[in-house]
Amino acid sequence: MFNLFKKIKQTDPIVYLLTAFLLIWSVINIYSASYHEYSTLYIKQIVFVSIAFFIITFLPFLIEYRKFGYISFYLYLVSVILLILVKFFGVSILGAKRWINLGFFQLQPSEVAKFSMIIFSAYFISNTKLPLSLKDFLKIMGLSAIPFMLIYSQPDLGSAILVVLPVLVIVFLAKFNIKYIIGFVLAGIILSPFIWTHLKDYQKNRIIAFLNPESDPKGTAYHIIQSKIAIGSGMLTGKGYLQGSQSKYYFLPEQHTDFIYATIGEEWGFVVSFLILTVYYILSLRIFYIGIKTNELFGKFLCYGIASIIGFQAFINIAMNVGMAPVVGVPLPFLSYGGTALIMFSLMMMMVLNIEYINKKEGFRFHSQDALNY
Amino acid sequence: MIKFNRLTFLIFVLTVFYFALVGRLFYLQVIRGEHYREISDRNYIKIFYSNPPRGKIYDRNGVLLAYDVPTYSLIAFPYIVKKNYSMQELKENLKNYLNIELDEKTLNIIEKNSYPSVVIKKDLTQKDIENFYNYNHLFHGFYLEVVPKRVYTEEANYLAHIIGYVGYPSEKELKENPNLSPNILVGKAGVEKIYDSLLRGESGQKAVLVDAFGRQKKVLWEKDPRKGNDIYLTIDIRIQKIAFEAFSSSKHPSGAVVLVDPNTYEILASLSYPTYNLQKFYEGFSQEEWKELTENKYKPLMNKVFLGKYPPGSIYKPLVSIAALEEGAITPETRIGSGSEFRIGKWVYRNWNKRGCGFINVSEALETSCDTFFYQVGLKLGVENIVKYSKLFGLGEILNPDLEVKVATIPSKEWKKKVLKQNWFHGDTVNLSIGQGYVTITPFDATKIVVPIANGGYVLKPHILKAYFDNKSQRLVHTNPEVIRKINIKKWNLDAVRYGMYLVVYGPSGTAKALKTAPVLNAGKTGTAQVYSYDTRKKRHHAWDFRDHAWFIDYAPYNRPQIAGVVFIEHGESGGKVAAPLMAYILKRIFKEKIIETE
Repeated sequence: MFNLFKKIKQTDPIVYLLTAFLLIWSVINIYSASYHEYSTLYIKQIVFVSIAFFIITFLPFLIEYRKFGYISFYLYLVSVILLILVKFFGVSILGAKRWINLGFFQLQPSEVAKFSMIIFSAYFISNTKLPLSLKDFLKIMGLSAIPFMLIYSQPDLGSAILVVLPVLVIVFLAKFNIKYIIGFVLAGIILSPFIWTHLKDYQKNRIIAFLNPESDPKGTAYHIIQSKIAIGSGMLTGKGYLQGSQSKYYFLPEQHTDFIYATIGEEWGFVVSFLILTVYYILSLRIFYIGIKTNELFGKFLCYGIASIIGFQAFINIAMNVGMAPVVGVPLPFLSYGGTALIMFSLMMMMVLNIEYINKKEGFRFHSQDALNY
Repeated sequence: MIKFNRLTFLIFVLTVFYFALVGRLFYLQVIRGEHYREISDRNYIKIFYSNPPRGKIYDRNGVLLAYDVPTYSLIAFPYIVKKNYSMQELKENLKNYLNIELDEKTLNIIEKNSYPSVVIKKDLTQKDIENFYNYNHLFHGFYLEVVPKRVYTEEANYLAHIIGYVGYPSEKELKENPNLSPNILVGKAGVEKIYDSLLRGESGQKAVLVDAFGRQKKVLWEKDPRKGNDIYLTIDIRIQKIAFEAFSSSKHPSGAVVLVDPNTYEILASLSYPTYNLQKFYEGFSQEEWKELTENKYKPLMNKVFLGKYPPGSIYKPLVSIAALEEGAITPETRIGSGSEFRIGKWVYRNWNKRGCGFINVSEALETSCDTFFYQVGLKLGVENIVKYSKLFGLGEILNPDLEVKVATIPSKEWKKKVLKQNWFHGDTVNLSIGQGYVTITPFDATKIVVPIANGGYVLKPHILKAYFDNKSQRLVHTNPEVIRKINIKKWNLDAVRYGMYLVVYGPSGTAKALKTAPVLNAGKTGTAQVYSYDTRKKRHHAWDFRDHAWFIDYAPYNRPQIAGVVFIEHGESGGKVAAPLMAYILKRIFKEKIIETE
């Protein structure tokens, strides 16, 4: 008999339970967000959530995270190939080519790229001489520029940023020389006007709309205002499940993806929106903590990358929902509708659980003196 | 003890971010919550639809068959209605001022707020609209929507099965097509369904900010409606009407007529008889009328042209003749002694005419429809070749998936093994060569036999859409004839068959002398297809549904065919005596009324 409770205790119960909590919430909220659209999205979500539960419950005991390291370069290659394929065979939704239709399922290669980029950079950096040299830094940045450009041209600025964000975090934590970092940041600031001229019009509009929402209440700023009204009108305890008038009456066109948090805020109020926000925060901290405990470099950097993507992606999305960040199209981990993202995030959680499982099983593992310093 | 290193710096950043978001949430939901709640209570966005007229349907000469008229529906927005009235109040107001009795289902939708909008009453009368206008202050959250209603003209009734009908989209259709609005008309059957994407157009949508009383405050975004395209059918309604009158004056209760242009395979008339009143069908029959229609043994609701499958009988013989001539089983000059019966072992196959036919060639065999001639030819030819030519002619094949639903069953050795789990016998080939046994075709399939004979071997794609007027480009877009394949038939072979079909009408022993009176030279073939054996028929006192089917295929004029077609009379007993006179009537009127002019 598979004793679930006992098994969970062998991994990390906090990570497992917080993930399970988010998975269950996703079904509840997708149902609400698609309630008025004669939609059956929630049924698909139930299927994906079931797969996700399978992944985080059984796979941590079956697949060792290090195996992902050995195949990380191939994962990287596969995601680049998928990103090129989407250019040719992609399905266009709302003007962006982001999906490959597999018949039963629409695959979103940018999510696969996000996942494999974390593994690949963690593996790459853990196998170089540390602290990270400029040469290796340029190598890994060059390699991550390929998926970045491919996703950016879809166009999907949000996902493009999120593909490189964990790489930057790992680079930073690999003690890459601080002088270089400052240098690159300064160069970025100097180059930003040049980048601005290369942004797509709708991206510029979104940034302008974010800086001054009242400038264009019908267009791009519309989402921000309506999302703020939705969240604010939830007040302390919300309007009640399925009773959100903002989200139910066409205020939020992307209410089951990028603006799912607004639906939660409206229907459940401050109590639950605060709770969810906190869940992401604790989950991210906990994974950082597991990383600190891990004495093997690859596992360590993997945890740092995963912790940063969970924390920052969730916070950017929520910031977008509450009007503190421009609308860049970043979904909320686990809660936004999207099968590929859900599976990829579950695989990340599976690896974290497996790292902790091995930590507990093997006790202190001495791999290198280096591992103690990072 | 916390060491300050890069990791703690990163976690610090995350924490600052976290507290900033908590603060923001607290500000929006707790401090300013009241303010935002007010905004959300005061303002709603409602989607108003404007339904454009559906495209008109015309016949090939521009005779109007179907068009739209506007009607008004009373629509309610549950969310606003609920905020303004108790369910009791709502029921009373509707009853007292608008004389509307609200049913449980609608009431439930309003109470549970389970749909963004709900239809309260359709097809409002002038009086209803006046009342709503006068008592508007009592109906916050209600509004009138223009809903198109389809009107079918008197002429369209002759074409009921082809035109089909329209209705509102089902929930499934709404789900599958985001461009549909709940009150747009979509095609549910017939041409209305086949060409729905041309006819339908697109609803306009307007997102309007409304206040708590449902008053429109501001238009947020708008999508203009797009009118549907008008379409022109290949049907000539005059010919369709003649076909109908041929039936209605003949007292035959059930059958079908299809007439096509053999040069283009445009369908000029397609009648399934009896027919029904299209307008009434669309608006809804009473229970008795409906019962009568569905229980009528002549099946008025079924489009027999495409859905009825019957044994073809002797109209299959021209096809068998071409197969035999082309495959070298016979030549046009080959003469075969054809008596009154043909034996295989102990089995006896009789000729329909007890006198026998004598020593005849293929043209003469077609003239008298000599069964014993075709028994022998069929056996020599073999079942494989009959099947091969049936397939070449397009029998058992869907030539136009828009139109055809069922296809002919052409039995072969493999077919019999698979379906009936039996071996093929010579007797089966004998039966097949006169269009009896397992072979069944639709009346439309019968035109597939006659069209290539009339046009010299071209298998074309049949079509019913002559053209449509594209609103975008403001141009008429025509459907061009499309050749699917050409059957290579040697001229002398084709001529022999054509001549045989000519003799059917004009020969001394022809089986369809009725056609002689037609104003143009024509050629045809009769078919009397046995449904039950003679003994069974006799036992049942020749009851209607035990009688033979009557067929007649024809093309005219003989030298340069401009029209080809089939008359099928269900249980009509005799192709020559029953079906042929109907075709004669139709051809006479078509050419006398100069609907088709001979050069």
